[in-house]
Amino acid sequence: MKTFQPKLYIGTSGWSYKDWVPGFYPKQQCADLNWLQFYSQYFNTIEVNSTFYTYMNPKVIDVWISNTRHVDDFIFTIKLHSDFTHKRQYTSEQVKAVRFNLDMLAREERLGGILMQFPYSFDCTDANVEHVRKLAGEFAEYNKFLEVRHKSWHNKNAHSLTICTIDQPLIGEAIEFKPKAGNEIAYIRFHGRNEEAWKRSINSYGEKQLYEQQSERYKYFYSPGELSEIERGIIEVYDKVKQVFVIMNNHPTGYAVANAFELMHMLKGKYKVSMPDTIVKAFPRLKSISA
Amino acid sequence: MRTIFHLDLDAFFVSVERLIDPSLNGKAVIIGADPEQGRGVVSTCSYEARKYGVHSAMPIKQAYKLCPHGIYVGGHSGEYSKFSKSVKGILEKYAPMIEQPSIDEYYMDFTGCKHMYVSYHMFAAELQKKIWIELSLPCSIGIGTNKTIAKIASDCYKPLGITYVEPGMEKYFLDPMPVETIPGVGKVMLKGLHNKGIYKIGDITGLSEEYLGTAFGKGGISLWRKAHGNGTEYLNPPTKRKSISKERTYGENVTSKKEIEKTLFNLTGKVCQLLRDKGWQSSTISIKLRYSDFVTLTRAKTVKPTDDDKTIYETAVDLFRKAYTRRVSVRLIGIHLTKFTDFAEQENLFEQEEIVRKKMLRAVTKIRDEFGYKIIHLGSK
Repeated sequence: MKTFQPKLYIGTSGWSYKDWVPGFYPKQQCADLNWLQFYSQYFNTIEVNSTFYTYMNPKVIDVWISNTRHVDDFIFTIKLHSDFTHKRQYTSEQVKAVRFNLDMLAREERLGGILMQFPYSFDCTDANVEHVRKLAGEFAEYNKFLEVRHKSWHNKNAHSLTICTIDQPLIGEAIEFKPKAGNEIAYIRFHGRNEEAWKRSINSYGEKQLYEQQSERYKYFYSPGELSEIERGIIEVYDKVKQVFVIMNNHPTGYAVANAFELMHMLKGKYKVSMPDTIVKAFPRLKSISA
Repeated sequence: MRTIFHLDLDAFFVSVERLIDPSLNGKAVIIGADPEQGRGVVSTCSYEARKYGVHSAMPIKQAYKLCPHGIYVGGHSGEYSKFSKSVKGILEKYAPMIEQPSIDEYYMDFTGCKHMYVSYHMFAAELQKKIWIELSLPCSIGIGTNKTIAKIASDCYKPLGITYVEPGMEKYFLDPMPVETIPGVGKVMLKGLHNKGIYKIGDITGLSEEYLGTAFGKGGISLWRKAHGNGTEYLNPPTKRKSISKERTYGENVTSKKEIEKTLFNLTGKVCQLLRDKGWQSSTISIKLRYSDFVTLTRAKTVKPTDDDKTIYETAVDLFRKAYTRRVSVRLIGIHLTKFTDFAEQENLFEQEEIVRKKMLRAVTKIRDEFGYKIIHLGSK
């Protein structure tokens, strides 16, 4: 009855959130507590969001590598800059800049892949498929995770890249949650199901917002039943993949961390999971699965 | 001889509530109506609350009198059904056939499976453990030669009980039990039975079938049979939906071909939505046409399995045009989809034929151009 278990990478989207103190990062921090270092003690992957907004200075990448030096098994997934996915205008210099950083991580065996996240409006038209194909060519040698949110992509697949599975509030023509495999990988992202806040954020699109307003739509704590349903969905793709990435993006107040620990427990044979006391204190539900 | 398992999730709603909020552990938890409102009933309660005499279906007011310090919870129905499906997901890995009569109980037919699982009792224990480890939900299991025995057995020892009534031992198992143990004995019948001095199941087996029949009618005969350890031996597997159809009867009969096609278009949108919700594709498309003189025609066509509005609409319209030959007004038009296959195939993004394939949304746009924007409501959920 045992199902073959692929390699699991479970983590969050981003690690640098002030509101993860004290729910994850301890409040009484010593001067040299490094958040990424702390994070990497518990999780084996991280998705980097900042690369969506800026072209990172390679020195920063160096710091990330050294901050995770103490763990053997830890990989980064780099979100591709919005020039490639939202503006869809880029130069060969920009490609080079991104590739330079990716290569730095790849050399240290710290690269999971690149996340190409497109907006909801990016539906499955010939022109858009062509754009994806072109991007796939620019970054041919890396694992590519394509996040598309429109329903028109729902049964599409490609051998050279992985189409992400996403869990999001089902508004309009949003693609539904159904784990899928591509390129022998399943890359699953959780945005939460805060439908009301999501709708509000659609309505105020383009307005300048505070961090709290921006992140409100991700404010969602998955319930045990939802997680159990999610677990069943993920297990269904086990025999089609070698790697499964589970990335929680419901970051406000540490929901993503708590749910990531819970899914880790569920997907890794129900063994108790090593986690800091801070998170158990913030989310008492985790007590029964904490090692 | 059949081997039926009945698995009952112990205080299921309470167990789920405790997963959501572990602070409820070890406390008297009552799920149901709000006692302050004063109306409604207890849907279930924890074993701690049962000690005070609270039980399910009891008026909430009465429960509050018995157990005022209990924790009253409204309940999370969405969560219950999710966990119920997860339990079924586990059982499906083992049981050749499952029937789920309610959210927290499952019948499984393990007839002939003994050699696979060493002993039924040990296997039941393994199943129980599995559900506990995977979902932290306690359950009790009853095993018997039919559904009635299995159900009574699972109720025998709770929580976390396993009761195996070996074939041939049914009478000894049932005889000492109170008559209300038998499923189907309600308040009225119980009173009737007590009036006749029948308290234990053994009291029933001492009487004749005719006597019970005369006294309680059909229900009496069924009771007599159950008391003798007889019951339904076969499970009802869930029936899969075989067709999806939508019809429209006009308030006033219609002669305009264009209007009928418009209706057909709307109906197509609805059936395709249902089809996609199920994750199916249909390969037989039929239409039903009823003239004002009640002459009714059906026409069908088999196509490559599809869930695409455009293909289905075009096929349906084609069928309609061929069928609509009389100069008589139309009373009803309908569309009917059958022969389903699960939608499993994935299309490859970069394949030439895929790029060339006409997109559904374009078809929609085209039809909208012809019939106006409002004609189409794209399914979103």
